[in-house]
Amino acid sequence: MNAFIRVIEYWVPTADKSLLEFGGAMFGNANRFAAATRSLCFGKGEGLPGQAWEQGRPIVLRQLGDSYFRRAKAAEADGLTCGIALPLYKGTALTAVVVIFCGDDAQSAGAIELWRNDPQENTDLSLADGYYGLTGDAFEFISRSIIFRRGSGLPGIAWEKQAPVFLENLGKGSGFLRADGAVKVGINRGFAIPCAAQDGSNVVMAFLSALATPIAQKLEIWEPASNPTDTENPAIECTFCFAEAMPESQTIHYQVRSHGARALIEQAFASGVPAVHAPMIAIPVAPQGKVTAVMALYF
Amino acid sequence: MTANKTSKFIEIQGVEQTFKTKKGDFPALRDIHLTVAKGEFVALIGHSGCGKSTLLNLIAGLAMPTAGTLICANREIAGPGPERAVVFQNHSLLPWLTCFENVYLGVERVFGAGSKSTGAASENKSQLKARTDAALALVGLTPAAQKRPGEISGGMKQRVGIARALAMEPKVLLMDEPFGALDALTRARLQDELLAIVQKTESTVVMVTHDVDEAVLLSDKIVMMTNGPAATIGEILKVNLPRPRNRVELAEDRNYVHYRKAVIDFLYTRQGHVEKAA
Repeated sequence: MNAFIRVIEYWVPTADKSLLEFGGAMFGNANRFAAATRSLCFGKGEGLPGQAWEQGRPIVLRQLGDSYFRRAKAAEADGLTCGIALPLYKGTALTAVVVIFCGDDAQSAGAIELWRNDPQENTDLSLADGYYGLTGDAFEFISRSIIFRRGSGLPGIAWEKQAPVFLENLGKGSGFLRADGAVKVGINRGFAIPCAAQDGSNVVMAFLSALATPIAQKLEIWEPASNPTDTENPAIECTFCFAEAMPESQTIHYQVRSHGARALIEQAFASGVPAVHAPMIAIPVAPQGKVTAVMALYF
Repeated sequence: MTANKTSKFIEIQGVEQTFKTKKGDFPALRDIHLTVAKGEFVALIGHSGCGKSTLLNLIAGLAMPTAGTLICANREIAGPGPERAVVFQNHSLLPWLTCFENVYLGVERVFGAGSKSTGAASENKSQLKARTDAALALVGLTPAAQKRPGEISGGMKQRVGIARALAMEPKVLLMDEPFGALDALTRARLQDELLAIVQKTESTVVMVTHDVDEAVLLSDKIVMMTNGPAATIGEILKVNLPRPRNRVELAEDRNYVHYRKAVIDFLYTRQGHVEKAA
């Protein structure tokens, strides 16, 4: 994948709910990492997926080496340095743990941020954790100093809408507070999703990436149709689509592929479990234990 | 500064303010939630009409909110009180009284005979005079104590206003663009003086300002407000610059520059449409 996100995998509970087993992945060029992954299982608290399961909230693991991460050598061999685990729930039942991996080579300008609000304490959304790769100190410094309110800034908007939010150009008065710092370090795309957390907190994960390494080659957001006839099982429609500039032939190819991917996206929406068919992965967005949208990432 | 800046001292919970006008209801503020810790210096910044002064007036008890609650030192704010002193842009001095008498008037009202505001025993005249002298000394106005407002500069008048507020030993100092009407040099000098005074008194301060540098220089926390009508708090910037602060040294401090740019970004990139529409 020539994208900021290098690998996405997801883990699903076994039938007896005692373990997480491999559900699917987009490994891109990370062949060694793929080989080390497929046969693994994780218990509660084991490895990055097991930690997210145990803690019931998203986790950013900024350094895979020297940590509880179990595939550190394979990750290092494929240039993966950071992992983000995102548990998904239907009601209170875990449906999957999505794990996203990024690298920090010279081409991977980007950042991943985890914003959190504890409604018992205040109305603020403040930075809980972040991975800033090569984006430089200045951007991280301001991110750690700022507090967003509901509806304000990229994370605040995602929190308010309880839906994914994509900002195409952070530098053009797009509603991104840290635009100046972002543009300086080459970041121009922003994407935020509200996440589930079992402790009652509000969590938003934000991906910030550069032109050279976009979040994905194409990104779609699918949401329930505005006037569904079946409110129990509403039809979903693509409410947002953004594709990075690419040759015409590829664009057509992507459109065809997108059409074919619809069934998988609907499956992810109905089940709350991601679905993958290279080069697309459909990830449910279920901030309150109910799927409100599906994001489809094409690599 | 030694004050505990983690405890909630001022709490603003779900405050809304709607004004009745001839054209109907005007929603000035909505969904305001904010806490200010004891000893914290908070700046309210935003474009004209964003409700900064309205919010300050609510904390001062000069107006009551349409909805929501304001609490100061565990008591609901139900009106003005000596524990919350206000310094306005217009210094509001009585022109026929000297600087000393202007300050003494407030001191006598709070601590003098017949005062019920503090609950403490009233003080005698020499005690009241000592309080007044100390307040004037704090702002460096001892030499001008016997001058009338018409005989002193704008900066000195504003210092009398600050002395009058501080002399009442308020728990909270509320300042509504206190230096807005002053020239740049005088403003800078008074900002430095305020820094030193706040450092010494460990006052809790809420200040309305339009000045980005003033906000970063003075504050522990900058509350950035969205444009009105129905303005609310958009973002809050925590300013972690060590104190005491020196404006000359800070001018080249990279963190200071980052904070400054963040506030400018908010005001002119994200909330800039007020200017564009004007």
